[in-house]
Amino acid sequence: MTLAAGIGYALLALGPSLSLFVSVISKKPFLILTVLSSTLLWLSSLIVLSGVWRGFLPLKSTSRWPYGLLIFTSIAFQEGLRVLFWKVYKRLEDLLDDFADRVSKPRLYQTDKMEIALAGGLGHGVAHAVFFCLSLLTPAFGPATFFVDRCSQLPFFLVSAIIALAFVTIHTFSMVIAFNGYAEGNKVDQVFVPVVHLVAGMVTLVNFASGGCIIGIPLLYFIASLTLIHCGKMVWRRLTENRSRQGN
Amino acid sequence: MESSILASIGVEIIGVMSPVSICMFLVVLLVYSLSPSNPFSSPSSPISIRTAANLVYLESPSDSTAQKLEGALLNALVFVVLISIVTFLLVVLYYYNFTNFLKNYMRFSAFFVLATMGGSIFLSIIQHFSIPVDSITCFLLLFNFTVVGVLSVFSGGVPIFLRQAYMVSLGIIVATWFTKLPEWTTWVLLVALALYDLAAVLAPGGPLKLLVELASSRDEELPALIYEARPTVSRNTGNRGSSLGLLVGGVSDSGSVELQAVEHDNGNINVVDNRSNSEYTSVEVGSFPNEDRDSGKDQGESSPLVGHSRERHTSSSGSSEYSTVVVGSDRARDPEPEIVDEEMSPLVEMMGVGNNREWTRRDNAEVTSRGTAQKAAATRNRRMMMLGCERGAS
Repeated sequence: MTLAAGIGYALLALGPSLSLFVSVISKKPFLILTVLSSTLLWLSSLIVLSGVWRGFLPLKSTSRWPYGLLIFTSIAFQEGLRVLFWKVYKRLEDLLDDFADRVSKPRLYQTDKMEIALAGGLGHGVAHAVFFCLSLLTPAFGPATFFVDRCSQLPFFLVSAIIALAFVTIHTFSMVIAFNGYAEGNKVDQVFVPVVHLVAGMVTLVNFASGGCIIGIPLLYFIASLTLIHCGKMVWRRLTENRSRQGN
Repeated sequence: MESSILASIGVEIIGVMSPVSICMFLVVLLVYSLSPSNPFSSPSSPISIRTAANLVYLESPSDSTAQKLEGALLNALVFVVLISIVTFLLVVLYYYNFTNFLKNYMRFSAFFVLATMGGSIFLSIIQHFSIPVDSITCFLLLFNFTVVGVLSVFSGGVPIFLRQAYMVSLGIIVATWFTKLPEWTTWVLLVALALYDLAAVLAPGGPLKLLVELASSRDEELPALIYEARPTVSRNTGNRGSSLGLLVGGVSDSGSVELQAVEHDNGNINVVDNRSNSEYTSVEVGSFPNEDRDSGKDQGESSPLVGHSRERHTSSSGSSEYSTVVVGSDRARDPEPEIVDEEMSPLVEMMGVGNNREWTRRDNAEVTSRGTAQKAAATRNRRMMMLGCERGAS
């Protein structure tokens, strides 16, 4: 039974990304490579951040603002990294187009670019889930579960799995939004992504309050679905535009 | 909609990466599940076995850090030296055509790895999970597993998937055993082996590089335990030898050169070599990776067809088995065997042969991937050598 619970938690956090991986990513080797490199990038950003914050931890004070500061710096750093990732991707796109010309294949389609962005986002999200959920989950395979005082309604593992799922969703689709925003020069999208990331990160601070997870998790899921809807609308718009342009 | 470039790029890397990832994942799972369930209980007196990997120094928990580091470095040094000696021995044996001996030795070592090392891992799995199985059944199962594994190593007619599975399981077994080494030795050994591998595969005169070049110049399969990332779909077996020569060498220009090398004497090889050098641009190994891959792929796309058909037209002597097979099948596939140059392909596609060409091109890309995989798969080879040493010492 405990094994089932552990696998269940893991699948709750990573199931959607797993199905995304199997259905979209694994068909194209290049996307797998993108996922791996973006995972690596995210993990190394975490290592850098933890190295910087190592000196100040553990936070002794009872006030919450140092945690807020921690989350803010981390998110700022990671958003900076996203811009870097975009720059690298831009060069890669040129290389790929050159290569396509050379072997006389069509250049990258609009859907291809979106798939690359999706793979990059998925890498970020999976790294997040592995780090903040799977690594905590190993005791869940043992013969008990664990509750935290501040959130006595749900097991700790379940809460972390649910939060991880929300963050995987946000990471995955905000990368698509961001790449599209950079490509079109759309200021709204460029700002939308860091703001969503920051708000989602700050919302997790609600969990410090007693019983906070009851409020925090729905808020987090509201943000995640907002990202999802925005991304869906944007992709739909691009695709229909593309089709009408091809029709003409 | 024509298939985009994303689908075809990076196939070879994934072909090598996926078995390695599977292997690593399974090893972690195995070691994790077999480790004592309560980490805080006192470890049940770890039995330190003396192997080739810790000949010099046997780590004990009471030693100081400096002592441990020094001992681990010495261990790694001795181990790497042993591996290089064994590898050079392998090269020498292969150079003097002791291929059958090598093959049988590999079979023997595969048998022992699967039976003894694998067997003990299976026993500990059975103990840990209290699987109800009697000794006779267990022995029979183990024996069957081992024999199929040994058969799959070199004999033809075995599905490639089975062979790949056995290579991965060999890797898992050896890696699981390596986790039993003392901690410091393991880490130092890891770094040392990585460095050794780099040197052996990339450096001029490195033993593995010599071995692979030798094999490609003879147009044979390497007599070693090598993971081959060739496509699972059963393909024209005739292509096998030439493609191996084409890509393992990396420098060699086309499949036709390799074929000639088999058929004619030394003087002739040079002539052919020169001619083909003037015909094709040569590919440099170890140059900027992207460029290397591009040009490699170009070669791969044009040369088997061009090479074979031209060779067949010009030289009628010494028809080897595979080349005829290849040419035959290519002709059957492609109505115009002469139109195979890469530059012409848009035209050809427009003329409606596109479908056909697409097929052949993908085919060749797969060939490319195989060869590249072979080169990288020297890692497996290295594992094998390790085994050799280890067993030799124990």
